[in-house]
Amino acid sequence: MSYKIPMGPYHPALEEPYKLDMICEGETVIDVNLHIGFNFRGIEHLAETRNYIQVIALMERVCGICSNIHTLTLCQAMEQLTGLTPPPRAQYIRVVMAELERLHSHVLWAGIAAKLMGFKTMFMTCFELREQVMDVLSAISGNRVNYSMNRIGGVNRDIEDPLALLPMIDKLEREMVRTVIPIFTTSTTARSRCAGIGVLTHEKAVSCGVVGPTARASGLPQDLRRAAPYAAYAEMEFEVPVQPDGDVRARLLVRALEIMESCKILRQALTKMPPGEFHTGEAKPAFTTGTATARVEAPRGEVMYSVSWIKDARNPARVHVRTPTFANMPAIRWMVVGARLADTPLIQASIDPCYSCTDR
Amino acid sequence: MTVLESIPEKLGVDAPWVEKGGVHWLNPSPLSVRELAQAMNALHARFITITAYQLPKEEGLRLEYHWDLDGQLLGFPFQLAGNSIESIYDLCEAVDWIEREIHEGFAVDFLGRKYEPLLLREGDTPGVNLRETGTPNKPASGLLGQEEVK
Repeated sequence: MSYKIPMGPYHPALEEPYKLDMICEGETVIDVNLHIGFNFRGIEHLAETRNYIQVIALMERVCGICSNIHTLTLCQAMEQLTGLTPPPRAQYIRVVMAELERLHSHVLWAGIAAKLMGFKTMFMTCFELREQVMDVLSAISGNRVNYSMNRIGGVNRDIEDPLALLPMIDKLEREMVRTVIPIFTTSTTARSRCAGIGVLTHEKAVSCGVVGPTARASGLPQDLRRAAPYAAYAEMEFEVPVQPDGDVRARLLVRALEIMESCKILRQALTKMPPGEFHTGEAKPAFTTGTATARVEAPRGEVMYSVSWIKDARNPARVHVRTPTFANMPAIRWMVVGARLADTPLIQASIDPCYSCTDR
Repeated sequence: MTVLESIPEKLGVDAPWVEKGGVHWLNPSPLSVRELAQAMNALHARFITITAYQLPKEEGLRLEYHWDLDGQLLGFPFQLAGNSIESIYDLCEAVDWIEREIHEGFAVDFLGRKYEPLLLREGDTPGVNLRETGTPNKPASGLLGQEEVK
């Protein structure tokens, strides 16, 4: 006999609303329906009522974790419409901010995953590490969440002494290697909670069009930093971690390895940061009529912005945002089918979902 | 000849690629959106999204379909005569939510598919068209007009 179990609209792990209607037989999930839209804010429409300065502040609030990525993508699109190219130092600062944000996002996710597995001390360890990353973000930008770093033609603030950040990177990497990664990769409990659970096959990952660590954990080596480099990524050497298994453990391993790669990128960006201006200094950029599109590899995967503007208009004519969770979340259906009911919170959390992004 | 350069010929399209605003654009006429989706599947291109544009009244709507091919962003515009276009959901699973969102936000009917209950709810009517119901300084029922920030 099958029965329906509604999960949500309050997520068991993440304090954001969405709903999963699971059809179960015994303890096994046999089908799922996902419902979103509980937090729809109409941000794309609001963007049409904001000028080029205000729209940056607005889009920074699409997501509470990868706020910087949203302004970076938006600014890259608006730079195409204004013909402004950020100076090299600004491109490096953008890489530093993006990778710090990736660290902060991945370590936060690792903490939540640890909590769902029953490792509450690991949750605290991860959040302590995350605090260190946020301290650096705060030292650079003056803010812990919405950094207000990006502007059309560069960044708003310089990193005056890039090398001073290196000890933090070393410490974070040491802690990850010493505590977090070994527990996630070798602990029997972590393995039994994650291995073979919530599998998204390579074929399903392709047909669902998933992005970011979720795709890379199903054997898809896609990463825009490598495939279509932006900012200063073309000058960075790094690997794109890929795991073939498609289970929760693979998603965990990909993120753990990406933390190490982010440290590698940060070290290069901070060491090689060129001197010079950090923005073009344009008082008021002049927009041409047209549509421009930019894509960036956010911590959860690809973000895409399409921005349309009419010359001499105060506000954009259209801003369309495609967030990574919008692409990844429908795949949860295929991860959850066949799973044990008790594993579903961890499976859902394993894509690092952001409902704020999804609902926009 | 690169894969990208060979696509117009494979599709039977006369127009060349135009690279503009970070996108390789191709006018897919005379292909239907379903023929285009089949061609993109054959090329193993990754579907990204559809962007809907509400044009001035007499011009209707424009949908721009985007795929990724080895890091290159492809764009294919489709002008809608009315408010409907064929769905490609059965050919490309990844379009599910964006077709639903455009159906609900712009009242576009994607023919040949069923919809889940509305995501963006305003009663039971599809087409929560914020551009009409929430036009600046023109409050409409159910939604407060968004005052343009001076």
